[in-house]
Amino acid sequence: MTQEPTADRPRIDAYEKVLGRALYAADQPITGLLHAMTVPATIAKGRIEAIDATAAQKVPGVVRVFTYEDFSQIKTTPAARGAYGQPGKGHQPMTSPVVRHRGEAVALVVAETLEAAIEGAEAIKVRYASGPFSARMEDELASPEAEPDRQLSSGDAQAAFAAANHRIDVEYLHPQQHHNPIELISTTAAFEDGELRIYEGTQAASAFAGGLAGMMGMDPTRLRGVSPYTGGGFGQKNGIQEQSVLVASAAALLRRPVKLVMPRGQLFHTASYRPRSRHRIRLGADEQGRLLAGLYETVQQNSRYDGFACDHGANPPRMYGYRTWQGSDRIVRVDTQTPGHQRAPHEHPSSYATECAMDELAEAVGMDPVEFRLANDTQNDPITGKPFSSRHLAGCLMRGAEMFDWNRRRREPGALVADNGGLIGLGVACGSYKGSMTAAVTTLRLFASGRCEIATSGHEMGQGIRSVIAAELIEILDVDPTKLEIRIGDTGHAPQHITAGSWGTGSVAPAARSAAMKMREELSALTGAPLSEEPVHVQLARTRRLSLEVTVNTIPLGKDGQVIEQLRRGIPSTTGPEYPEFMAFSWIAHFAEVHVETSTGRVRVKRVVSVADCGRVMNRRTAESQVRGGVVWGIGAALREAGETDPRFGGVLNNDLAEYVVPVNADIGTIDVDFIGEPDFKLNMSGVKGLGEVAMVGAAAAVVNAVYNATGRRIRHLPIRIEDLL
Amino acid sequence: MRSLSYVRAGNVREAIEAFAAAGEGARYIAGGTTLYDLMKLGVERPAHLIDIASLEGADRIDTRGDVLFFGAGALMADVAEDDVIRRDYPVLAESLSKAASQQLRNMATVGGNLLQRTRCPYFRNGAIGAYPCNKREPGSGCAGIGGVDRGQAVLGASDACNAVSPGDWPVALTAMDATIEISGPAGTRSVPISDFYRLPGNTPHLEFAIEAGEIVTGISVPKTAAGRNSTYLKVRDRESYAFALASAAVALRMDGNHVRQAHIALGGVATRPWRAREAEALLNAQTIDREIALAAGRAAFADARAGEHNAFKIELGARTLADAIMIAGGKIQ
Amino acid sequence: MSDAHDSKIFEVTRRQVLEVGTIVSMSGMLPAAAQAQGSVSQPTPENGATVRVSFQINGQPGAMEIDARASLLDMLRERLGLAGAKKGCDHGQCGACTVHIDGRRVASCLTLAAKVDGRTVTTIEGIGSADALHPMQQAFIDHDALQCGYCTPGQIMAAIACVKEGHASTPEDIREYMSGNICRCGAYVGIVAAIQQAAPQIERG
Repeated sequence: MTQEPTADRPRIDAYEKVLGRALYAADQPITGLLHAMTVPATIAKGRIEAIDATAAQKVPGVVRVFTYEDFSQIKTTPAARGAYGQPGKGHQPMTSPVVRHRGEAVALVVAETLEAAIEGAEAIKVRYASGPFSARMEDELASPEAEPDRQLSSGDAQAAFAAANHRIDVEYLHPQQHHNPIELISTTAAFEDGELRIYEGTQAASAFAGGLAGMMGMDPTRLRGVSPYTGGGFGQKNGIQEQSVLVASAAALLRRPVKLVMPRGQLFHTASYRPRSRHRIRLGADEQGRLLAGLYETVQQNSRYDGFACDHGANPPRMYGYRTWQGSDRIVRVDTQTPGHQRAPHEHPSSYATECAMDELAEAVGMDPVEFRLANDTQNDPITGKPFSSRHLAGCLMRGAEMFDWNRRRREPGALVADNGGLIGLGVACGSYKGSMTAAVTTLRLFASGRCEIATSGHEMGQGIRSVIAAELIEILDVDPTKLEIRIGDTGHAPQHITAGSWGTGSVAPAARSAAMKMREELSALTGAPLSEEPVHVQLARTRRLSLEVTVNTIPLGKDGQVIEQLRRGIPSTTGPEYPEFMAFSWIAHFAEVHVETSTGRVRVKRVVSVADCGRVMNRRTAESQVRGGVVWGIGAALREAGETDPRFGGVLNNDLAEYVVPVNADIGTIDVDFIGEPDFKLNMSGVKGLGEVAMVGAAAAVVNAVYNATGRRIRHLPIRIEDLL
Repeated sequence: MRSLSYVRAGNVREAIEAFAAAGEGARYIAGGTTLYDLMKLGVERPAHLIDIASLEGADRIDTRGDVLFFGAGALMADVAEDDVIRRDYPVLAESLSKAASQQLRNMATVGGNLLQRTRCPYFRNGAIGAYPCNKREPGSGCAGIGGVDRGQAVLGASDACNAVSPGDWPVALTAMDATIEISGPAGTRSVPISDFYRLPGNTPHLEFAIEAGEIVTGISVPKTAAGRNSTYLKVRDRESYAFALASAAVALRMDGNHVRQAHIALGGVATRPWRAREAEALLNAQTIDREIALAAGRAAFADARAGEHNAFKIELGARTLADAIMIAGGKIQ
Repeated sequence: MSDAHDSKIFEVTRRQVLEVGTIVSMSGMLPAAAQAQGSVSQPTPENGATVRVSFQINGQPGAMEIDARASLLDMLRERLGLAGAKKGCDHGQCGACTVHIDGRRVASCLTLAAKVDGRTVTTIEGIGSADALHPMQQAFIDHDALQCGYCTPGQIMAAIACVKEGHASTPEDIREYMSGNICRCGAYVGIVAAIQQAAPQIERG
């Protein structure tokens, strides 16, 4: 079994993408398509008293106006939801006159053209009875849950904290953020070949299709979810969207294909988002800088009607060798749409809070922040006592420090000054993300012509999952990548587990690898001899068979055969981070250099160095891109992004890409990436851990810590904006 | 967006006639980067569009005479890249090149840009927010006052509106004493840019001193040696492709080391492009250093009034202006 | 709309094309993917007042009667089956819809389709082919200047224009002049490197 990273190959689907030929959900050429547009609610909470669609129905081209009266048959049972981490959908817009958040659909207009649908939607008049609401967790009517979602503890942290020589007690605020993949979320529903096909950019085609079938009372085998390319997901596309079932139902009622591309302004109000959270962190250390105690309490917003657990406490106690720990995470309910997983959902906010707190404590102890972290390195999880399957965080820190030239950092803030007078700050922070895997059913077909087809579970959303599959097939079978067809993201080809949580590679690489190995076995059995060095398809051709097909079920460590049935039904079935023998995480260290303009307080991130331990690197090129992307997200979180809510109205004020400022090209400087590259074969046969999520974890904290090093100011909220440093 | 008619006019006369013939709901459209955007948001609802983007000769840029002349149809990108403007009037070129993106600057005209409307979220969010907004729906109130007002104006606000004037180019033109050339059914007229932008007062929906059916045909800027010592400094929430939190257009006519005349206008902080006469007066006959530049900056904001979240704009605006004065004065880069 | 406005000065066909459908003379212009699937988009009825536009797209002449409200982006995507230009914001804020009109990059979502009458439009489908990639396309592959690929057609159209405008001489210039194209996956480092690689080839070519 190889321990080498695979060859540096171009992303296998890059050709389709640079030629503009990759077809995303809203690009599908479908005959006789109708266009739909939603009418967003203009109240934050209440009831629809009356809808006047007279004018809309008169708009030339409008085929039908749907309201809640048309969709009362839609079932909203928890089982119908099917989305990862959100066990119940307590509210499906347009199934009753109830309005539970601003911007939810109250009517759907279907027309011959998009222009007519929009005109029709604008012509709908709705009369509401508005009720009292709370838009943010600080508001009077917000409802804290009585019980915490999670409590982790080890030892008597209160006592240890009280006895510590060095203590900090700080609170960090993380704002609401919005994923904003550039692909607008869209739904196209069409009856084709006797089945209802739903084209929607999704990370969870089976859960999506199964959930929709449940909501519509359809035979799940007659509903197919198709998402061969997802134009960025970041977690926003891992469930059924509010509009999905409305479009599917409209198509079913009209017996015509219907497409809805949601306007971005509405998506800020209907799709998921990273909820606002508060983090109180107390850390205590002894004179030598050993971490004696960590106490970590978090609260996070949620909607009134769905589960979305507050899970900030899961990772921080695993970062260092805490002697004692006590954590609790709790939600506060407000009147918004349900938040959800956004890249490094809890790991990013919690690493922001705790890694900034580590910087504060390092200073209190009087240690260099890198040394301080190295001094508290551990190979065992402080909570369970289990060893980590692999942990090279110290290696990440040491290699990163060298690449970054960390030694030039001065402990006293503002000591480094750029030629233009700007203050230079250097910061470090670390991150982790659970090592997780899922089941897959993989069908691999080799043709004597040299063609090779594989159908498996996975969704391509930019992480390069096709390239991972190709890498394993090339390694084991030496197939020609130009003759390789990879079918993923389509329930018509294979059951599709939700692709999220950085388990894509760790699931699909072993799936492709074991299918390829089984292919070798079958071929060998067929030829009656061990395989030669000749191309496999030539050896197959010699048997006078046109093709050979193998199907492999891969069952992740710690699960049994039942997961295959769950997979087929779209039920999430992930493993990790806790396994019988160990805990599994990916690790990363980020180093950031910022320059702060003294007159205006503008912060520019000149350089970031990130070193990751993600097990074996499947494709150096795409892996580097993923880490850079995670760093860009960290910079966005540290300095740019926040959804703004006016508590008088609810909703999101800056609901577009001009005012919700994600980083642009000019915001990004140099980002240097390296990998430890040690395979983790304890976790799976491919030796891979996840990368897409860990890439972001700690990146924002590194920037914030660098801002402190430049300015001497601890800003304990995100984003750090101009007004914070003036 | 309602159904509408569209016609492309070939010259100014044709355009004015087409507008008159169209009647209720007629609007001129040039690049469309503001109007079409707001039509998509349901904020603007024209019934007839008269396309004036390609009027005969309207894209003329003439820097040869006593004044700089910019035909209203000249593209923002083309004026930004004009060699003479870049060399002799960086304040004008920079105000354009720091606005929007190259795609939009290839569409938007320098005439149309004068009529850009506010980015106030309460104004733009007509569909989902349906927030009170006196600009969008006169008499409905102003959600911007007492709201999430980080982006709102600290200068020139009234009890009816505190929305910021969004432009960059109009700020530079205000500093440079531009004149707006206008044609309409009743003939042509010239309006000093200081009279072109109205304060919101009790009628925030009336933003520009231009009547229905009139067209901006050109912009004249008197030539001045101050152009050479000029800059447009824009501070925003990201390094590019964002509206100003604070900006300053500064041009200094120097007499040796002393300022003979300063031209100063501010953006991102006021309800209209804001001429800072107090700051100009303060610089008169002075040599430029950090201290005097900051004093001018503070003078420009002496009458500023902040809400809950935008007080920082007073300090940021003053420092941005101070930096701009230092750049224009050749003290820093 | 009242008949009083139906004067000759509007050289616009006002009939509402409900049954006849739009006349689209764009054969051979559809992307390979659409042709391969054998489901070429049907002539669509236009529901609002229409305007007739004639244009060149990717080197081929075309003409159609189109709703006067429609954007160039919706004309390309919903009428002509050219789905390479993407809708990411529909308000000129993301750059995913970037195409060239008469050789200059524009946001097709904020361009009225009516405005392209008499103009030349180039979309990603008119740039390179699988056998002969444009140097910018090759450079995007070489530097992995993409992830999900959704913003990529717009990035490449903007990047080609960026070079032709003379705004690709330094990394700082590239960053500034490529800031109208948001890549949420965060491929900016690769995009800058790709443009640096392709720029000399394009300038020579």
